[in-house]
Amino acid sequence: MWRDTVLVAGKDLRIEARSRVGLSQVVPFGVVALVLFAFALGPERAPMAKGAPGLFWVAVLFCTVLAVQRSVAVESVDGARDGLRLSGLDPAGLFLGKAAAVAAQLVVLEVVLGAGAVLLYGARIEVPWLIVTSGLLGAIGLAATGTLYGALSAGLRVRETLLPFLLLPIAAPVLLAGTRIWQAAMAGGVPSDGTQWLRLLVVFDAVYVALGVVVFGPLHESA
Amino acid sequence: MGYVVAGYVIVLSLLFLYAGQLVWRKRRLTRAVERFELLAAPGDEPGAGPAGSR
Amino acid sequence: MSAHQGRSSPPESSRARWTVRVVGITAAVATAATVWLALWVTPPDVTQGDLVRLVYLHPGVAWVALYLAFGLAAGASLLYLWPRTRSLFWDRLAAAAVEVGVVFNVCTLVSGSIWGKPTWGVWWAWDARLTSTAVLLVLFLGYLALRRVPAEPEVRARRSAFLALFAAVDVPIVHFSVLWWRTLHQGATVLNPDLTPTIHGSMAWTLLLGFVALTLVFVWMLLVRYRIGVLEDRLGTGELDMALRQRQAEGAPDDEDEAA
Repeated sequence: MWRDTVLVAGKDLRIEARSRVGLSQVVPFGVVALVLFAFALGPERAPMAKGAPGLFWVAVLFCTVLAVQRSVAVESVDGARDGLRLSGLDPAGLFLGKAAAVAAQLVVLEVVLGAGAVLLYGARIEVPWLIVTSGLLGAIGLAATGTLYGALSAGLRVRETLLPFLLLPIAAPVLLAGTRIWQAAMAGGVPSDGTQWLRLLVVFDAVYVALGVVVFGPLHESA
Repeated sequence: MGYVVAGYVIVLSLLFLYAGQLVWRKRRLTRAVERFELLAAPGDEPGAGPAGSR
Repeated sequence: MSAHQGRSSPPESSRARWTVRVVGITAAVATAATVWLALWVTPPDVTQGDLVRLVYLHPGVAWVALYLAFGLAAGASLLYLWPRTRSLFWDRLAAAAVEVGVVFNVCTLVSGSIWGKPTWGVWWAWDARLTSTAVLLVLFLGYLALRRVPAEPEVRARRSAFLALFAAVDVPIVHFSVLWWRTLHQGATVLNPDLTPTIHGSMAWTLLLGFVALTLVFVWMLLVRYRIGVLEDRLGTGELDMALRQRQAEGAPDDEDEAA
């Protein structure tokens, strides 16, 4: 299973590295979202700084949808999915690999958007390790749920509109937790609150990764 | 009290309207299936269907 | 040659139709009785006044939407996914439960909101239960949207069942997240949603009747909606059969024409 994970993750990341869709489209989209949020919240810094955690995570969520769409689209061409099914790859490894690739892309995205939030909104971060950990855990949770839902909606022509609709409610706890952790990590926050929310993220990640490992086989077959 | 009445009216109307829609759907479908069964029964053998128009 | 899906269901037996009718009538009577008791017979509450009358309705629809409908949909989906109990019956049951559940969910949110406005002063409050109910509604709607995608019944059933499974996992997580969100957040106005009156006497009976009546309404709707699902599938595969047969019929005479 682990060997297949590395294999699949490597394949997806290599495709990404060659096409650079993530870099040239998804990340700029995230930055555009940040800018639009600034317009929405008005010129004063105070409300923006206050809202920075939430805005950051909302932007990440939107970009997750794009990243997952891409991850699914990579396999939709020319019967590649049938090829995968016949290849004898362990489905759990397939799931972990795809999720890992998406998570990696999300981490890169988060670094850029995080920097953007600090620069554009004037957010002041005092406890950086909370930010980093929440970023990693959040990326894992989003990638796992995204890959699951991507498989569910793979091969459907309405995938573009259906996937966000399905995915975003499920990702809500990540948004809640991530925002709270950022707030705890910023000036005037209470770091111990942050650690409580980290625990939620860990549980969320554990649940959905485990679910994916168990369920991805039959799920992938039927789509 | 106005709120209470509004609440009851809205909820009961929703339930009632949905119930009505269910009954209507079921009737329409039952009729459609009946009609369809009637059509399907006689023309069962291949070749005995509508004259071979291209 | 209806070998395509030889699973054509028999027409509804007269006994089934009679059962549905009985359930329906009982449900209607029980609901009418509840409304009468709630609005006229029972006294207003000491603290809440007339607003307590909504309490006969709201927990009832909430129980149906959040536990009965959702629980049934999740359970039926699991039974479908489990190989030994796999049967399209469970899939159709789940779908029926979700659709009816949506209606009850909307009723829950509406009745809750209408009760909340005079009680808390706001149409909406971001507490755990309300938010989870709203999220559940979105998940239900997603399930219905996924089912609209045209597919073989087995494929559709599998897809929907997985979605139901994911949703079932998610709702408790969302509930707890929001619960934490409220209680851990310093300085939040802690709205107390549990303004349950001390229930006694006629009020208690009315409340119970309300639960029973709404459960019966749900059961009736479920039965009818289930039957609709069976009919829709029958029509769908039947039309395909017919189209195939017509194609075949068109094929045979062609050879004769060409030979002549």
